[in-house]
Amino acid sequence: MVCAGTGCVSCGSLQLRERLEAELKDRGLADEVKVVITGCNGFCAEGPIMVVYPEGIFYKKLTPEDVPFLVEEHFLKGRPVQKFLYTGPIVKEKVPLLKDIPFFEHQVLRALRNRGLIDAENIDEYIARDGYAALSKVLSSMKPEEVIQEVKTSGLRGRGGAGFPTGQKWEEGRRYDSFPKFVICNGDEGDPGAFMDRSVLEADPHSVLEGITICGYAIDAHQGYVYVRAEYPLAIHRLNIAIEQARNYGLLGKDILGSGFDFDIGIYPGAGAFVCGESTALMYSLEGKRGMPRIKPPRSTEAGLWSQPTVLNNVETFANVPPILLKGGQWFASLGTEGSKGTKVFALTGTVQNVGLIEVPMGTTLRKIVFDIGGGISDKREFKAIQIGGPSGACLPSSLLDLEVDFDSLDDAGAMMGSGGLVAMNDSTCMVDTARFFTDFSVDESCGKCVPCRVGLKVMLNILNRITTGQGTMEDIDLLEQLGKHIKSSSHCGLGKSAPNPVLSTIRYFRNEYEAHIKEKRCPALVCTSLIKFRVDPEKCKMCGLCKKACPMEAITWEKKTPAVINVEKCIRCRSCIQACKFTAIE
Amino acid sequence: MPKLKIDGLEIEVERGTKVIEAAARLGIIIPRFCFHPGLGPVGACRVCAVKFEEGPVKGVQMSCMTDAQDGMVVSTTDEEAADFRKHVIEWLMMNHPHDCPVCDEGGHCLLQDLTVAGGHGIRRYLGKKRTYNDQYLGVFVQHEMNRCIQCWRCRRFYQEFAGYRDLGALQIAHHTYFGRATDGQLESPFSGNIIDICPTGVYTDKPSRFTGRRWDFERGPSLCIHCSLGCHIITSARYREMTRLEARFSESVNGYFICDRGRYGFYYTNHPERPRRARIRTEEVSLDQAIQTAAQKIIQINQKNGPKAIACLGSARSCVENQAMLIRFCRVQGWNEPTYFETPTMAKKVKRAVARLDEQLAVSMREIEKADFILAVGADPVNEAPMLALAMRQAFRNEATIVVIDPRPVFLPFEFEHLPVAPDDLEPCLTALIKGAVHRSAAEKMGEEALRFYDTAPAEYPDAPIKNRMVKITQKLRQSRYPVIICGTSIVRETTPDVAADSALLLRAARGRAGLFYLMSEANTFGAALLSSEEGSVMDVVESIEKGSVKGLMLVESDPFRSFPDYERLKQAVDKLDLFLVMDYLPSFAARLAHLFFPTQTLFEMETSFVNQEGRVQFATSAYRGGIPISQISAGGHPLRVFRRDIPGGESQPAWQILAKLANIISLPGREMFSLSKNELWSWIAKEYPIFANVPIADELPDDVRVHLAQGREKLFPSGGQIRSGGLSRENSTLELVMGDWTFGTEELSTYSKYLQQVEKEPCLFMSPKDASMLGLKDRERITLPLDKGRLEMELRIVDTMAPGVIVMPKHRQLAWQKIEKWPVKVAMGQIRK
Repeated sequence: MVCAGTGCVSCGSLQLRERLEAELKDRGLADEVKVVITGCNGFCAEGPIMVVYPEGIFYKKLTPEDVPFLVEEHFLKGRPVQKFLYTGPIVKEKVPLLKDIPFFEHQVLRALRNRGLIDAENIDEYIARDGYAALSKVLSSMKPEEVIQEVKTSGLRGRGGAGFPTGQKWEEGRRYDSFPKFVICNGDEGDPGAFMDRSVLEADPHSVLEGITICGYAIDAHQGYVYVRAEYPLAIHRLNIAIEQARNYGLLGKDILGSGFDFDIGIYPGAGAFVCGESTALMYSLEGKRGMPRIKPPRSTEAGLWSQPTVLNNVETFANVPPILLKGGQWFASLGTEGSKGTKVFALTGTVQNVGLIEVPMGTTLRKIVFDIGGGISDKREFKAIQIGGPSGACLPSSLLDLEVDFDSLDDAGAMMGSGGLVAMNDSTCMVDTARFFTDFSVDESCGKCVPCRVGLKVMLNILNRITTGQGTMEDIDLLEQLGKHIKSSSHCGLGKSAPNPVLSTIRYFRNEYEAHIKEKRCPALVCTSLIKFRVDPEKCKMCGLCKKACPMEAITWEKKTPAVINVEKCIRCRSCIQACKFTAIE
Repeated sequence: MPKLKIDGLEIEVERGTKVIEAAARLGIIIPRFCFHPGLGPVGACRVCAVKFEEGPVKGVQMSCMTDAQDGMVVSTTDEEAADFRKHVIEWLMMNHPHDCPVCDEGGHCLLQDLTVAGGHGIRRYLGKKRTYNDQYLGVFVQHEMNRCIQCWRCRRFYQEFAGYRDLGALQIAHHTYFGRATDGQLESPFSGNIIDICPTGVYTDKPSRFTGRRWDFERGPSLCIHCSLGCHIITSARYREMTRLEARFSESVNGYFICDRGRYGFYYTNHPERPRRARIRTEEVSLDQAIQTAAQKIIQINQKNGPKAIACLGSARSCVENQAMLIRFCRVQGWNEPTYFETPTMAKKVKRAVARLDEQLAVSMREIEKADFILAVGADPVNEAPMLALAMRQAFRNEATIVVIDPRPVFLPFEFEHLPVAPDDLEPCLTALIKGAVHRSAAEKMGEEALRFYDTAPAEYPDAPIKNRMVKITQKLRQSRYPVIICGTSIVRETTPDVAADSALLLRAARGRAGLFYLMSEANTFGAALLSSEEGSVMDVVESIEKGSVKGLMLVESDPFRSFPDYERLKQAVDKLDLFLVMDYLPSFAARLAHLFFPTQTLFEMETSFVNQEGRVQFATSAYRGGIPISQISAGGHPLRVFRRDIPGGESQPAWQILAKLANIISLPGREMFSLSKNELWSWIAKEYPIFANVPIADELPDDVRVHLAQGREKLFPSGGQIRSGGLSRENSTLELVMGDWTFGTEELSTYSKYLQQVEKEPCLFMSPKDASMLGLKDRERITLPLDKGRLEMELRIVDTMAPGVIVMPKHRQLAWQKIEKWPVKVAMGQIRK
């Protein structure tokens, strides 16, 4: 199994596969060893990844040049190659088997049940792992009402961020008596640092198609659409293949599986606006209009796409549907917390050791995610905060590491599940700058319809820019809080209502950093360049010369056994020296 | 009906009413920028926040997005809500350039008002303002994007309400820009409305730019007379110059908007060549002197040739007072009644339409918006009566089916079914649709005549492609709950108005409810048809002059040289006259030829009334006292330093008063003397025409008084047995010439507007691809069209949305088309050449 998720492909996994196939052929092993291209394995930090079955041996960071040796050792001599195996983060031992790697050990795969196990471009492999069994069961033995009841029993809540109960949404979609009805799958994943939907679509497109079709049956719709970011060409490519295959197998189109139920699915690539992830804006966009949120009510389930009843769910929500119907709602509800059942996929990124895609039961603590699965903070740095939910979410400090993550607990902490981006941050991250970054993103991505989001956020950004350049005043913090409060209460859609969260949460949990920027004109994390002196502290300098090597402007003078000196006139404040210095000697 | 309490006042409103509207009914105007009663809520500006204290909704919410519900207790003055609104206004003012002193909106700017009202004064935030480049949006609209507060009204009106796409929202977030993809004249003929609805000065009126503040103008309610709809307007005048027009709200006619022809057509009033002094031949004289001379001439002719030797032409652009007085004048003098129509056919068509309209069938434009099926016959709304197209679009937005039967390449700003058939086939095409949708039993119940109409009307349309499309249309018509028939009167045959009325009756019998809406050619065509009893036409008058029985001709605000098909013949006839007397306010061709000329007042200078095409009697007040605009005689100096007793160029009088004075001189002793009182004239009208008896005169401005002749006395289904089968008129060797209107360039008064002249398109000839390929002609080639009395050269446009067998040409100002002996015109195919 060679991973061909976007991460591994960009690290050269396709070349790896080519070389592997050639090598196996040369050695006469082509008939005995089958090379399968899979969707994202999840452990992106270690790509390109290859897993050898039946044992499940996990190889990491392979290059085509490694292939002859690997084939020789593993496939001919039967010895797993030690140097390509994964090394445990704490106990420095080689871990040969995938299932024993801590990154995988703590995960429970439901939405990602087929990841790394099947070729996403081959429907037979999906079917071999119980694919379309749920659809077949639904069409042959269940009434639409029963389908909805099962989904309600499961307690599945929308994975797009807001956590609306899926069963209830379907029930409303079914209730309205206006035809045609539509099912839309929202794959417009725009949060910086989030790639859950992309990975699901790339690794297991059929599970999403099956979920959409089941929803269509439940609400009596005959047309579904997948709205997917145009920036996900591989996902679109695989979806197209999957739809074509499903049609050929009679799993889409007229009279599916002889049940008399007609359903088809189309793909609509988005045009790049973040706001089109909002359901009503997405529908406008799908209609070919400018993507802007509209007034609710009516809800989309009553008047959505082309003013017809429409059920819109997230990619991950649909991927969860087939096992629910196959194994029952009770099975699904057996995991998770009181209000949030099942599992949640997160894109874990930032300064953790194990960057990648993970799926954990609802209620898993942040500590477990960051330290057990994520392997802790990289580069021997300290954990500082974790950002959850993208531009709508919040930065949570270490004091909240034991928070059990679900929809409701995050809400209480002033954060939001969002679609599931998790960005870990170490002590070299400036929280004011982080808030500024996300606000900048929201300012650019506001649709421009309503005032608070369009103008208010821009005002917040201006203030943050002032603070990070040392021109802030203490009143600015109060202004930010006031503005944030007013923008949250007066915005029209979820984007505006949640956009102040990064600022408000950092003020709530990291107020001291704001004060340092304002009162002391100092950026504790040495990120805000206007506040950095770019001076070497001779006491701390170990005279290693790394800063001189890193400087692109030759602004640093250093000789052996003397502390380095930065020539401020030549310095362009690029921070290369700060990043290079291992002793935090530059202030 | 939900009952709620707003600021302690109780009100009961219809379900679906928004809280902001409920409050408005109590006289509480909640701040708003994006909400507009004509466009509805959108929830963009957030400035209409109020506090919901009790009831199903709680807390601070947008009053424009919340339906009024039972038990709501709303406070608009609540501290939290006021604070919320204050913040929103503060944000809006963040980027506003504060250039009020040089902004034309200053003084009537909603943003200005609400900023002051909301208590915002001091800027708390630093940072640059966002700026934009402005665009050239054409002749009418000045763009100043920096002032924009992104309320979305312009885009919502332009695209959603009116259906044009070239102006809209570009970019996102704080770069959101309202404009066009590139600079250029706005394509919509309703573009001026964005000036009215913009809550600040992003779009201002370009022609009247920098001419004054709201309070500098003499303003008053008036009427638009550039088509037959009679939209309501507000006038602004300053320094003896009509400066600007805006839409005035009308519940039943135009709603909140007007078209650009109406908005910018009024410049004939200020026309530099407008004749403002009385003339004897070329010599300017006082009005009294001219009246004396005219009286003597008239007496001479009457004595020599008898009372029938002087003919009078009135016009359908004249007000009711002028038309009535002219009729009264002729009756008292024992002359023939005045003529209002060019041809006998036109006279008959209009009179039939007026005769058939009754209280039950007649619908207003607002009612058209509620129709679920609209069937337009021989009507080209955007070109003939633009605001009708907007009304139809609102019906379309409510999912109405719209069908147009017309030979011309009709464009409408929405999707519709166009059945392009030749003028002779309009009636059979219409009846085929009606018979397809109405069961015979419905006609049976209506009596013998209805049944005869039903049985003899052609049931099928022979042309296969059109017939096939009709299947789906009849299906829709069969399901409709409120069908409306719109019938034009310009290109249709004499009997079509009757067929349309009879069809509407059948539809009403079958569907329970139906409406009828006639389009007419001019603002007071309905009034003219109602008042005049003669069936005469200009054609008859010209014949009488040629025969020598008519020696004198009096034109009252009429220019037959514009509309009479045969210019040469008319000119020769006029040359033969002993007396050619013209009263007008236009620098018309007839006015130049006049032996005696009298300057009359325009609508804006007098108190007048007009009857629109649905029989609605409407009043206009005078905007100012008239006279030559100061700008035209001050050579740029300002203000005028010469003081005098009278108003320069202020001699013009209402035509009816000139007529009254003239009559009082020529009347023989013992005959009735005319008063100059308008009330006296109206009591005469009410006496002679009892249907006007209930019209309240000019004290207020009622817009719900309709005068209808029919009242159930009219003979129904007169066209039974007369409708020919369709498709028979087609002769392969000839093409029928159909002359239509264009939004700009064909309507008489607005063609004198210097601004509309700039947006006129060059006249061209439309031909179907089938006919063009037979003639080997290509699109945009220059061709020569032979007519009875000469030839015309123009560009050819090949369009596939028109009927074959027909060529279409506008009655365009720039086209000397008056070379036609008589209607209808058939052109031999072979004679159309490159």
